[in-house]
Amino acid sequence: MESDDMRDFAAEARRFLDAHVAKAPDRTALTWGEGDDSMAYFSSLPLEEEREFVQRAREWQRIRHENGFGWITGPVEYGGRGLTPVHDLLYDAIESEYDVADTGVLSVIGLGMIGPTILAHAQPRIKDRWLPAMYRGDAIACQLFSEPGAGSDLASVATRAVREGEDWVLNGQKVWTSVAQHSQIGLALTRTNPEAPKHRGITAFLVPMDAPGVEVRPLRQMTGGADFNEVFLTDVRIPDDHRLGEVDGGWTVALTTLMNERATVGSEGVGPVAAALSPDHLSALMRATWTWDDRALRARLAELLVDVLATEHLNARALRRLRAGVAPGPEMSVSKLMYGQNLTRAAHFVSDVLGPRIIADTGQWGTYAWTELLLATPALRILGGTEEIMKNILAERVLGLPKEPVTAAAKEVRP
Amino acid sequence: MTADESELRELRAAVREFLEAKSPEEAVRKLMESEPRFDPAVWSQAADQLRLPGLAIPEEYGGDGFGRVELGVVLEEMGRALFCAPFFATVLLAAQALLASGDKEACARLLPGIAAGRTTATLAVAEDHGSWDPAMVSARAVPDGDAGWTVRGRKCFVIDGTTADLILVVARTVAGPTLFAVERDAAGLAAEPMETLDATRAMARLTLDAVPATLVGAEGAGGRIMAKVLDIASVGLAAEQAGGARRCLETSAEYARARHQFGRPIGSFQAVKHKCADMLVQVELAEAASREAARLADEGSPDFPVAATVAHACCSRAYMIAAMENIQVHGGIGFTWEHPAHLYFRRAKSSQLLFGGPAVYHERLLDRLGI
Repeated sequence: MESDDMRDFAAEARRFLDAHVAKAPDRTALTWGEGDDSMAYFSSLPLEEEREFVQRAREWQRIRHENGFGWITGPVEYGGRGLTPVHDLLYDAIESEYDVADTGVLSVIGLGMIGPTILAHAQPRIKDRWLPAMYRGDAIACQLFSEPGAGSDLASVATRAVREGEDWVLNGQKVWTSVAQHSQIGLALTRTNPEAPKHRGITAFLVPMDAPGVEVRPLRQMTGGADFNEVFLTDVRIPDDHRLGEVDGGWTVALTTLMNERATVGSEGVGPVAAALSPDHLSALMRATWTWDDRALRARLAELLVDVLATEHLNARALRRLRAGVAPGPEMSVSKLMYGQNLTRAAHFVSDVLGPRIIADTGQWGTYAWTELLLATPALRILGGTEEIMKNILAERVLGLPKEPVTAAAKEVRP
Repeated sequence: MTADESELRELRAAVREFLEAKSPEEAVRKLMESEPRFDPAVWSQAADQLRLPGLAIPEEYGGDGFGRVELGVVLEEMGRALFCAPFFATVLLAAQALLASGDKEACARLLPGIAAGRTTATLAVAEDHGSWDPAMVSARAVPDGDAGWTVRGRKCFVIDGTTADLILVVARTVAGPTLFAVERDAAGLAAEPMETLDATRAMARLTLDAVPATLVGAEGAGGRIMAKVLDIASVGLAAEQAGGARRCLETSAEYARARHQFGRPIGSFQAVKHKCADMLVQVELAEAASREAARLADEGSPDFPVAATVAHACCSRAYMIAAMENIQVHGGIGFTWEHPAHLYFRRAKSSQLLFGGPAVYHERLLDRLGI
């Protein structure tokens, strides 16, 4: 069933990975009470360690790039490989079997979403300057889209950009900006025409994050760590060649970015997530807490595992289709929804198993550590498109249900 | 034999075309209230034109030797159409029990008739308590002193029990639960139809009063045979459930696009839209779970028993949710006798609990996972 091209590509990827890194350790097979019991979904590292972490990510991206896997879908003239998104997903799935540095800080937003947007809409000098740097691991990019008044309703952005000679001057506030603290560039959506209907008065700019007037402030989240930021833009001066797309044509640019949100097939099997969804780990936890014979908890464990294993089957089938060169259907969106729901249910199930041990730290291995995952799970139903927006997309694109009519009030632009 | 993707599509299209012609809603409604609950002429056509009964029976026993993946495609379509036919009992219960018994003589004698569609068959395990666990069987078999056996006892929830030509019965001997073959017209066998929640699947209560029977497989092997049969039959059931759930989703989405209230299609309201998206999630999971289990069965994978239980649990829940929400999306019209939604609701609930329901399959999953 696998096409020859895909088989050759997969073999090449494995040769590269075998030559550079080891296979990932199996965290589902851990022995109870031994090793690392961290369940941190988001990093909560001190800044110094965080910088080392980012440095390792850059280093691995450089090695990938030198071996032809840094930008699989990119055009050859900018250092890409010129292959299809299916190759890209296949590579990700194969790489997830190996113990490589986590490059999420570069890849999720920057390489996955901003890179393709620059390629599609930026002016030639910007492409030459930034694309090779990004895919070599030198430049990290962030997405300056959301604002306090523009979350799911992104077209309501109010950050202003005003023309001054050859430049534009930006003023406003962005929020929920992941990796801004490590970024060299950010893609900003700004309002350039407050008179036009809200989707038609937006312009996109590439903002050098070291430009005067750009201020990044960490935003502490409910886990206690600070993965994302607020970004304040105060009289930030940007040359016109940093504009992407047409003046007032920024919505098209934004759509390119949003369409490139990367699918997550094959990337669930690592780290704390593997333990949280592992039958062996969860049963070991129940035995260690003397709850294995509780019939109500056993039934809930089984219900949870049915969803976890069915989701794995969904991913396995999508992956097999990819290997055969078939583009994925709605499995990816369903998988994303289930991923958030399964981890949320696992965290609450384990909390109920642990009882008081999750409200205060007894020092027992593998118990209070679950607070880290428990506190992270609400984010999984929000980030990358809230559950509600994801369901709208599934219903409209897959089932063909009509969009909600736009009311007159919704067409107005916020001041 | 294994079909590739395009052959599977062709198979699906052929079965769908056949069922749309032979088993439209009017036909299903008519058969629900008749005896037998299937149309023998249509059953013959399914056998002669499409060779469905023999599809997954090995070639040495007169079948076409395809696998569970192909069988799954057929069952999804049958579930979608609520096809009233002795297919499930004959092919997924009786034929699988014969194959699982390893009794080559019995297979050679009985399977060719099943494969050709001449013989309908069923499997009688559960008794008044409804459990399919062979350890719960109290029907007894004793040697008749002449190389044969006689069986005494009562069986319940026997699918197609009033019409099947061949009845495989699990009864207890001194060696433990054991499989026997009983002919429809055997002396001492009485069958009475049971009223069923899902009228598209006929069930009967059997009384066996010293009924002559033939041993199938080894004496005392009933437990091992049933473990295999239940895995395979529950994956077949899962395919039917996934097909039914997909149909409920399609019906709901179609209605949500067409039905207007407050001057707009109800599918443009998020409350309805999200309900349909939730159904889609369930249906996608159900199809993945049932198809993956079928694939693992064909590969002889050690992961099959876990996957079989996951498919059974996942598809049972998905179908029930889809059937319930289908009625909700339709509103009052969905609650009427004339609307087909209740037929799917009845089938969904009945299928979910046929082999014992969540209380049984949740424990089975933990057991199969070896945790």
